[in-house]
Amino acid sequence: MLEMLTTPIAALLFPGGLFALAFGLALKGLDRRLAARLQGRVGPPLAQPLFDLVKLARKRTMVPDIAAEPVFLGAPLIGAVSMLLCAALVPIPGVYTPDTMLGDLLVLLYLLTLPAVVLMIAGSASGSPFGAIGFSREMALMLAYEGPLVLVVVAVAMRTGLGQGDLISFSLSEIIAYQQTHGAFLFDPVMWPALLAFLAFYPANLGIVPFDIPEAETEVLEGPLLEYSGPALGLFKVMSALKAVVVLGLGVALFYPLAPDGALGLLVHLAKLTGMMLIGITVVRLSCGRMRIDQAFSFFLKWPLALSLLSLAIVALA
Amino acid sequence: MNFLKILVRNLVHGPSTVPFPFGPAWTPERLRGRIVFKLDSCTACRACEQVCAPGAIRFDKTPDGLRFMMWHNTCVFCGLCEFYCPTDAIRQSDDWHMAHATADQFTMAIREVIPYVSCTACGAKALASSPNPVGITPPFTPEEIEQQRNLCPGCRKKALAERGAAS
Amino acid sequence: MTTLLEKITDQARALAVRSPWIYRINAGSCNGCDVECATTALIPRYDVERLGCQYCGSPRHADIVLITGPLTTRVKEDVLRVFAEIPDPKVTVAVGVCPISGGIFRDGYAVNAPIDKYLPVDINVPGCPPRPQAIIEGIAQAIAIWRERL
Repeated sequence: MLEMLTTPIAALLFPGGLFALAFGLALKGLDRRLAARLQGRVGPPLAQPLFDLVKLARKRTMVPDIAAEPVFLGAPLIGAVSMLLCAALVPIPGVYTPDTMLGDLLVLLYLLTLPAVVLMIAGSASGSPFGAIGFSREMALMLAYEGPLVLVVVAVAMRTGLGQGDLISFSLSEIIAYQQTHGAFLFDPVMWPALLAFLAFYPANLGIVPFDIPEAETEVLEGPLLEYSGPALGLFKVMSALKAVVVLGLGVALFYPLAPDGALGLLVHLAKLTGMMLIGITVVRLSCGRMRIDQAFSFFLKWPLALSLLSLAIVALA
Repeated sequence: MNFLKILVRNLVHGPSTVPFPFGPAWTPERLRGRIVFKLDSCTACRACEQVCAPGAIRFDKTPDGLRFMMWHNTCVFCGLCEFYCPTDAIRQSDDWHMAHATADQFTMAIREVIPYVSCTACGAKALASSPNPVGITPPFTPEEIEQQRNLCPGCRKKALAERGAAS
Repeated sequence: MTTLLEKITDQARALAVRSPWIYRINAGSCNGCDVECATTALIPRYDVERLGCQYCGSPRHADIVLITGPLTTRVKEDVLRVFAEIPDPKVTVAVGVCPISGGIFRDGYAVNAPIDKYLPVDINVPGCPPRPQAIIEGIAQAIAIWRERL
């Protein structure tokens, strides 16, 4: 009986669902607060993302006349649900290991592309020209960053697999177990190029400066989100909060999963995610300007792709 | 790496935000804010009405006297009226707390009437405005101002001639 | 049961009122008031984000609308259209004297001021342009009105 409940609980309550949402909102609040402090401002209260969500839930959703209504309203729902599932797939070292029935690294990779796809669909379904621009930019950016991401993951998987005597291992639990016995990949010089590539992938996937080109407020007025209002926009906020937790959790699992067991392990995990959010995202987004889409495209095809290929080659040859 | 220095400096020095909506706000000394009108000093020369660029100041003749009207929602706070006023009857304070609900927008006006009196010397109907102090030497004493206020223009001239100064 | 529901609704309103998003409409302004609005948004000294405000680019995300300018004939239709796209409940703040009375452009042939002939205005912030603090004061009053409407 209890075993039957573990999966729904994982998806709705503890590692995914409510817990991930609350933590994601807290991360966003911290991010805004620290950003304000770094700019010499006081900044909003820590719970500001929660206030925004409650506010959006109480507003009216307007559907433009020319929008394809079912797609327009369904897209944010699909995005939020996919991220809810994703959050249940990310392990917390020492605390939570996802059921392999649910899926593993490969499923996670596929699900991670969904928010970008959902944004594209939303942008084109809204019928707004800004949405269409956002659509094309999102697509170009996604083409650029998905390649390096897959190569990074393959490099990590190969390193684990070769260390264990197989060729490759796409199991997150095996990757974590390997690092816990052989030391984290963070301190493994062979993996450093892959790590750098992954660091560039973070802001691109989360839609944050310097890679917030599809949703650039000052250029295309938040692109795909332009026509959304009320609860539908709130679902997009939920999606992006969950996505932050998922992507940061994936990074921790791939590169630095060392943590003690039990409640302390959970705290260490949360501290790692928070640190990564603040250093890897907040400081980066404040110290960079936004790239143009062609600059971002060539950047990703130059540096992260080369670095991840380099890492893969070293892993394969070593 | 200059931007990192700036970020660290901001973090160390703390926010430079003024506490305004939750605390007191600093106001510059010479801020041109809300208009203050002193009826007693007005000479009814209507120079302010002439120079007011957006037409926020208006004088109307009413049965009771000359009405001065000024609406803060048209005023551009340029300060010309204050500059041209011979007696400082119209002045700008440094009060800038003027945000108000639309329902109250017509309370943001100044309406004052310079009343008619009958001249104490000849009995004619005259405006009880302050005398124009420009070119008067020695300057008016307060008693003289009160005396002049109750005279018609003709009798004012006469009184000034007796005083021995050119008007 | 109903009291519990009311309590939750009240609580939700108290949370929601702390997240007013701001949208600016330039109804033919000379840009003076727009510069002051940008000041409240961008300069650390007048951090409007403390009130939970956020300037948003889309009228559909907005809760509080700042209107500047005397509503010139050229932009009148567009302003009214954008204003209609802002979902309810919304609060309108007229920034500067132009939308309230026309200010310096009062009797111009292409000026349709006052703006409250065409759309409901809740708060006036007189000034040419108003100080950033005066705009923040107007926003704070608008939040109080918004709380009643939410």
